[in-house]
Amino acid sequence: MAATGGDDDERDEPRPGRAGERNAVLPGGAGGRDAPLPGGVGDRPAPLPGRAGEPDAPFPSGAGGSPAPLSGAGDRPAPFPRGVGGSPAPFPGVGDRPAPLSAAVDPLGDPFLQTRFALPSRPGTFLRRERLVGRLGQALSTPLTVVNGSAGAGKTLLVADWAAHLGQPVAWLTLDAAVDGPGMFWAQLLQSLNAAGVPVPAAIGFPADATRAHHTLLSRIASELAGRDRPVTVVIDEFDEVADPEVARQLEFVLRHARPGLRLVLVSRSEPLLPLHRYRAAGEMTEIRDAELAFTTEEAVELLDLHGLSLSVPVAEALVERTRGWAAGLRLSALAARASPDPELYLKEFEAGRSTIADFLLAEVLDRQPPETQDLLLRISVLDRFRPDLADELTGRRDAATILAGLHRANAFVEDYGHGWYRLHPLFREILRAHLRSRAPGLEPRLHHRAAHWLRRSGTLREMLVHGAAARDWTYLAGALVEDLAIGQLLTGLGSGEPVDWFAAMEGETPDAATNLVRAACELSRTHRSDRSDRAALERGTAHLRLAAEQLSVEGRGTPAALLSHALLGALAGRLSGSAHLAEQATRSARRLMERMPSRLLDAHPELRALLLTHVGAARLWAGRLDEARAALAQVAAAPRTASVVLPRMEALEHLALVDHLNGWPSAAERKVLAMTVEAERYGLGRPQGSGIGQLVLAAVALGRDDVDRAEALLAGLPEQPPVDPVAAATRQAVTADVLLARGRTGAALTVATRPVPAADVSPWARGRAALAVADAHLAEGRPDAAVDVLRQVAGDQPLCTVGTARAHLAAGDPGTALDLLEGLTADGRSGPAVAVPAALVRARAAALKGDAATARRLLARALAEGRREDLRRAFRDAGPWAGPFLAEPPLRALAAGWLVPEPQPPGEPAGGGHGAVTPTEELTGREREVLERLAGAMSTEDIAADLYVSVNTVKTHLKAVYRKLSVHRRNDAVRRARELRLL
Amino acid sequence: MQHEQCEIRVDGLMSETLIGSFPELEHVVVSGQTLLYGPLLDEAHLYGLLARLQSLGLHVVELRRLPE
Repeated sequence: MAATGGDDDERDEPRPGRAGERNAVLPGGAGGRDAPLPGGVGDRPAPLPGRAGEPDAPFPSGAGGSPAPLSGAGDRPAPFPRGVGGSPAPFPGVGDRPAPLSAAVDPLGDPFLQTRFALPSRPGTFLRRERLVGRLGQALSTPLTVVNGSAGAGKTLLVADWAAHLGQPVAWLTLDAAVDGPGMFWAQLLQSLNAAGVPVPAAIGFPADATRAHHTLLSRIASELAGRDRPVTVVIDEFDEVADPEVARQLEFVLRHARPGLRLVLVSRSEPLLPLHRYRAAGEMTEIRDAELAFTTEEAVELLDLHGLSLSVPVAEALVERTRGWAAGLRLSALAARASPDPELYLKEFEAGRSTIADFLLAEVLDRQPPETQDLLLRISVLDRFRPDLADELTGRRDAATILAGLHRANAFVEDYGHGWYRLHPLFREILRAHLRSRAPGLEPRLHHRAAHWLRRSGTLREMLVHGAAARDWTYLAGALVEDLAIGQLLTGLGSGEPVDWFAAMEGETPDAATNLVRAACELSRTHRSDRSDRAALERGTAHLRLAAEQLSVEGRGTPAALLSHALLGALAGRLSGSAHLAEQATRSARRLMERMPSRLLDAHPELRALLLTHVGAARLWAGRLDEARAALAQVAAAPRTASVVLPRMEALEHLALVDHLNGWPSAAERKVLAMTVEAERYGLGRPQGSGIGQLVLAAVALGRDDVDRAEALLAGLPEQPPVDPVAAATRQAVTADVLLARGRTGAALTVATRPVPAADVSPWARGRAALAVADAHLAEGRPDAAVDVLRQVAGDQPLCTVGTARAHLAAGDPGTALDLLEGLTADGRSGPAVAVPAALVRARAAALKGDAATARRLLARALAEGRREDLRRAFRDAGPWAGPFLAEPPLRALAAGWLVPEPQPPGEPAGGGHGAVTPTEELTGREREVLERLAGAMSTEDIAADLYVSVNTVKTHLKAVYRKLSVHRRNDAVRRARELRLL
Repeated sequence: MQHEQCEIRVDGLMSETLIGSFPELEHVVVSGQTLLYGPLLDEAHLYGLLARLQSLGLHVVELRRLPE
């Protein structure tokens, strides 16, 4: 899938047309069927023949997807072949259709639990009640069905029986507490469709972050379901386990937009947080509640008959009254009565009693079991679901298989979930747990500990964590996380929620090295998340890391896994504190350690390698070693995709885009960000993801095109809190200052540009960009000497600074120095048009001042040709009005026409009659404008629909109206036309 | 901070085992019903109590919040 690195591609040959092909192919290819990418890419002017300025060479490297461990990442990377080094290369693997994320694992990288998708089996004593089956039959005519009833009311079996006899596929999903967060929820839901044989196509995408599911993913799911010939029925059992209200909101969104393709059946103890009143009022909901679920006397007689008890009607009547027709009460009373010598007498006595029903009856039934069975039932009450060997682990015996099979045959307590898994009825489990606590105080945490131990070997990380946390055995839990190399997962999503609180709650114990490592991971992960960046967390994380390092060296028994975890976190800490040295050092030791680790363990954790390379790449970027940064980051982009590497991959891609931007290749940078955005949406990640660098790059590109509004809008979309990551922080300051300058707010620009970015090392480009902004402010206020002064220290740092310095000298009336400075620039093979064009403009101006009009024209022509390809309008505006008369001359005018100056009017046609700046005959409505703005923002139709809370069809209607009013037929044309008309 | 009191009336006589699931509350038996009462920390506590009652299959007859 990744770069083939063919010999042909590595030669630095001009390839006419090749870049253009890329333009057309790359974004569409990455986007798959999703979105054509309007604005920015598709409608850029075609490159001039013979000037394919960007050699589109894939990366020559050992990064071609083979898992060579960190080749050349720790040491100085192999230099790139000459000529490829500076110019932007596409990252391998984005253009081609991505291999879909393996659907076998959830966003935490764990395999899906079959038991969540299995239709619960009905016991032999199940009574099919036609009146309720008939009510459920109405579910086929309403989008939403809600079965609400108390614990043990018989909800699940009723719906399972109905589903089993429906004669059409039903996707079944039983939730539990481990399905936490929207990303996890949607991953499970999509998997339930797969399990039911009605899968959604892989192109729909897949949530990669357990805590998030972006609305575009939901839109795609909804429109996929809406477009099907046959609606799909989805049952979600134990919906009350959903703690996050966002899940209910998202589910309702999909239900609303999937019509008529989705019939949703929610089985829950409490009313789901959907706007039920709306569905109720519209007659779009089938509702079955406690009153209907309750057994009638006749049904109770039948049920008890199935249990081998024949009751007289008065006894049954009294029993129904005593139990309120509660299914669990009836079932338990049957079990208890059956075991007593005189069942009818037993029931009469029970009816006369006043005890709470389930509690009393369950104790009765439990007490009649053999001691081993009682012991087993009490112990497994700490588990959600279990296999016989897990139950054996908790009892310390080997009889679980026999006992469980016997209990299941007797229809007592145990439900068979297939695939060798069982579970207790949730109601019975709770009561059994109460018994466990009172009969064996102190045993519960030990049982959780044993369960965690077993699950660590044979279960999922998430379940292991749940039990480890319930045991409150933090030392064990931390040790398990570290030794199993799960530390990377703490950085890719797991570390955002509970674990942070768990380990923070540790009191009165001296944390060991593993605990300090886990705490450091939680803190650094918190620092690094874009939504709540927190500088204090960086210091706390670094402090934990230091403690861990001391412990690992003093104890002298730092395991390879602990040392590797420490190195990984060290690389992140180094990166976040702006120290490339620390990050490199950590990466080098990580690489040495990885050589000593079993490859099986490393293969199971591809995120480790991806995170390391991303961190060291970002640290190198900060240090200004852009080529080396790219070498590391490109390896992340080229690596095979799995769920656990999506987050580092997105980060690597946006950093690669930033490298292109810094080198002066705006279109290449933009393409990378757009492709990344499309990919991020496939994985259900929101925008902005990462530290916002992608959006900053887009803003910078928009500014280069003199689209200040769009740049401003992109900046406004960033989180208020500035990022801790120095690369993101410095980029944000530089772009913000430039936008302020473009708005003429020099004072504000100065304030932003001179704000220090906390970091261990000085970053040459960050310093250079800040100085350029300050110098530009001076120039804008007529102080060229001050501008020269400011730039003096940084003039050699970066080509763009050299150009800026030259411009300042020119403004100060010293064209000679300006030309001398630019002399050395042409030798630089790295810089792209965003450097070359302003340089040519400065030289042209200098030539014009010296009276050399011919040279000025030649340089202007070159600037126009290159500037047109990248649409670098801002550079011409910044250059000043002196070029105006030149551009009015015929040969140059032709080069400027259509992008820098208006197209010449064809002779004979009345002014305003052609495609000039005319207003459309019909005004756009407010909604149409909103749709158009989003279209220009590279949003897909589904995307727009979700954003505006309307259906896809509504958006299409608006689009048609927009096309008609603008007299165009395609989205790209609409955006371009709207820009011409200044509607955007 | 001022705590509220809560009083939860549950249908039926709860066993000692089940009452053990509400260690933060006192209890008293009144005319065939069990009255659980005690300080209420906050809203989360209240909903947690209700969920616990529900998961144990208990039938809540009455719920009152009283200023302390």
